Amino acid sequence: MSKKGTSTFVVQRATGVILVPLAIWVLINLVSVLNADPSVALVWLTPASKSIVFGAFLAVGVWHMRIGMSEIIVDYLHGWLGDILRVLNWFLALALFGGIILSIYKISFAG
Amino acid sequence: MSDGAPKERVLSPHLQIWRFTPTMAASITHRATGMALYGGVTLIALWFIGLALAPQMAATLTGIFRSPIGVIVIIGFVWSLCFHLMNGLRHLYWDSGRGLDPKTATMTAWLIYGVSAVLASVILFFGYGSA
Repeated sequence: MSKKGTSTFVVQRATGVILVPLAIWVLINLVSVLNADPSVALVWLTPASKSIVFGAFLAVGVWHMRIGMSEIIVDYLHGWLGDILRVLNWFLALALFGGIILSIYKISFAG
Repeated sequence: MSDGAPKERVLSPHLQIWRFTPTMAASITHRATGMALYGGVTLIALWFIGLALAPQMAATLTGIFRSPIGVIVIIGFVWSLCFHLMNGLRHLYWDSGRGLDPKTATMTAWLIYGVSAVLASVILFFGYGSA
């Protein structure tokens, strides 16, 4: 079992604090951008200020939710099933995190 | 007391043994909305990645977001984020050592159910109104 309880506790609070302003901005814009045509959504996200804030919400959110889900798994599932789920949880978080960062670059900086 | 045997960690008490209180409801709802947001953020991240790297995937997800089921998912996501955000602030306030007495904690639990519902309604009204 992990011996990083304190640092996990701190990271979960820190990502939570960072997510407060990001989530407020996302809540204001989310419904209309998700319902827009993909080409329109892409144009809307193209300014770096928008793709970075939206991408940061998703990337920091992915980290925050990885920790939260890991806590739930540890609370309710012991043994190999819990271990496998926690590895999958890590894997999904890393894949999404990498994809989001790459997408910010592609949307606003790759020209 | 120790016999040297490896100690199994205890599992958390299961949900059905608790007496209902607003604070326990808010605690369970915090977890439930967290799990809903896990699914929702995964979907929105795939949509974001799709816009940049896989246009067909983005188009498919936009179709889902616009479907009746998608509308329900978005309504659920918006309220879940409102609740989890506000209850997260409540947790941070608790971390400062304040607001922990039962009377205050019960009052803030009710408050967060009410305000998150109003906030989500306003966001959805203007979000769908401008689409």
